[in-house]
Amino acid sequence: MTGQISETGLKTKFNATLPFPVAIAAWIVPGLGHALLRCWPKALVFFLAAAGLAIAGCELRGEVFSWHSGGAFGSLGFIADAGSGICYFAARILEAGGPDISRAAGDYGTRFIAAAGIVNLLGVLDAYGMASGRRN
Amino acid sequence: MHLNHLLSMILFAALVSLALACVARRTIAERAKYALWLLALFVAVGVGIAWLMYPFSR
Repeated sequence: MTGQISETGLKTKFNATLPFPVAIAAWIVPGLGHALLRCWPKALVFFLAAAGLAIAGCELRGEVFSWHSGGAFGSLGFIADAGSGICYFAARILEAGGPDISRAAGDYGTRFIAAAGIVNLLGVLDAYGMASGRRN
Repeated sequence: MHLNHLLSMILFAALVSLALACVARRTIAERAKYALWLLALFVAVGVGIAWLMYPFSR
């Protein structure tokens, strides 16, 4: 190091340490990763998309998979659901009445909750890419 | 709140389109255009598949 650190050099060094905390923040609260990077429109969109899908899924009485869900389908469902971070735990609390997959709407709800997790995982990857300087 | 099947599909399509447009495009104008295009495709393909399955529903 020469002792003269340019603005670009500082930014690179700063960003190089941030991607993992930003990705974890983005996973825990949808949009928080982008908010930490001061990318407000994306933060708002990812929060609205993940929370909206999770709330609609609960409203349709979809199934929220737990860690102990049996079989490959249950495990994949848990991974997808858990991708939405805090929305997953909110959905677990909101579905106190239990899922109703005897109707088509309940099955839709299950897909909504899984989609919330997948959308948030997309947001996590995007925030990670932005924090590491690979994306704008 | 009562969501019927069509409304559920449109809500799903709108939210997913918004998120995908945010990732795939850079400017706000490009994102809005892409989100609308994706929404239209989601709904059109969904309704199209529903009509294709209609003869087998009874």
